[in-house]
Amino acid sequence: MQTELEADFTLDLRGESCPYPVIYTLETLDGMNNGELLQVITDCPGSFRNVPEEAIAHGYKFAQDPVKNGQEYLFHIYA
Amino acid sequence: MKKMIQPIFQRYWNPYLVLLIAGILSAVYFGLTSTVWAVTGEFTRLGGDLLLLFGVDISGWQYFDMVHLQGATWNRPDGWIVWGMFAGALIMVLLSNSFKIRLPQQKRRYVQGLVGGIIAGFGARLALGCNLAAFFTGVPQFSFHSWIFIMATGIGTFFGAKLTKTRWWKGKPSLIRGNAKPTQLKKRVIQPYVGGTIAVLYIGLTIYFFASGQKLLGLGALFGLAFGILIERGQICFTSAFRDLFLVGRSIMAKAIIIGMAVSSILTIIVISIYDLTPITQIAALSTFVGGILFGLGIVMASGCETGMMYRLMEGQLLFLPVFAGNIIGATFLAYAWDHLGVYNVLVKSGAKINLLDTLGPIGAISVTLLMLGGLYALTVYGEKRYHRKLTIKRGMNVHAN
Repeated sequence: MQTELEADFTLDLRGESCPYPVIYTLETLDGMNNGELLQVITDCPGSFRNVPEEAIAHGYKFAQDPVKNGQEYLFHIYA
Repeated sequence: MKKMIQPIFQRYWNPYLVLLIAGILSAVYFGLTSTVWAVTGEFTRLGGDLLLLFGVDISGWQYFDMVHLQGATWNRPDGWIVWGMFAGALIMVLLSNSFKIRLPQQKRRYVQGLVGGIIAGFGARLALGCNLAAFFTGVPQFSFHSWIFIMATGIGTFFGAKLTKTRWWKGKPSLIRGNAKPTQLKKRVIQPYVGGTIAVLYIGLTIYFFASGQKLLGLGALFGLAFGILIERGQICFTSAFRDLFLVGRSIMAKAIIIGMAVSSILTIIVISIYDLTPITQIAALSTFVGGILFGLGIVMASGCETGMMYRLMEGQLLFLPVFAGNIIGATFLAYAWDHLGVYNVLVKSGAKINLLDTLGPIGAISVTLLMLGGLYALTVYGEKRYHRKLTIKRGMNVHAN
């Protein structure tokens, strides 16, 4: 069991299909203060790959590796 | 054993490898059956089947004659391509324990899915194919209409991408302060057993087709299964190939699709030469261009194209039920509009079937095709770099502001 990180904000994107997970994630990160922590919960399989890859491509860093939670993924990303 | 199984069933596969295999398989399928991997023709026939079911007299509708509406979906090879794709996707979803009912939190997605599906279905049939027969499997057939369609789809997708970023369209996500709880995990894992059972039954059915001499149905079922497995495990999304390039400078899907088409083109021209087959050519006309734009716009509105919606539905993304319904509605309406509303006369009649093999010869055709695919690849790389250059400049401005 991972130590639970204390996120400043959580995006609950369960049920949302592509491209909205990646759009919402990048827009939310863009609006947050530097160093704040965003938790993203998504169950869209397409976003399991493109959200982390695009967050990194846009210069953001992960607080920990993506966590697979059954049919969901959890991402913890620093703004 | 577990270490071998895990990469195959638990992880998504590399899109380049997936589309390479899909390109090879579609060339092989053409060699074996003289037909291409396609789905919207069957969607149109399903629309015709539904009209018949409701007692509508569709005799004399030229479009249904053109797509050879005869027999029932389970008696048609193209029908088994479609059902095989559904089956293949579902089997892989279950084997990887990935099935989950996924309902959009925002109701507007259902309307967007239905309307987008209608537009995409109408556009695809107007152009006589979607991302497959007018794109991924159309290019390797050297049908010039595919290149018109690709360009038009790119244009339609560009405007669709603009639309998805508007506030009224995309809506607001659920954003809360602090942590939120992920879904509680179920102890029992039964999906893989269900997936395995369905796989055995489906393979049994395929064997029955071959054993009873219904070779074309068997091939449709077998290749449909393979295509369904590939697109689900690769999360292959033709919509995102253009859309995500515009939205976030993401190019991996576009590059993989281009490489798949290049390999498929080379194999297909070999197959055509060896077996002296006739390539499948569709009319290049204003309808191809208009259809491509509508298709490109519609698939972005709907969040997925014809093939994408099929495997996503199998994943439990119920948004794609209205998308699927929309596609059938759009295709069926086009079938009606073709002669009853004068679409054929206005947009199609003046066109012509142009095949590069006929106009340029085999060497010319494959050379020009590979050159154009190379050009498309270069455009993709440029688009990605341009996006990230803009991003760098924007970030630089933010740094100065702080």
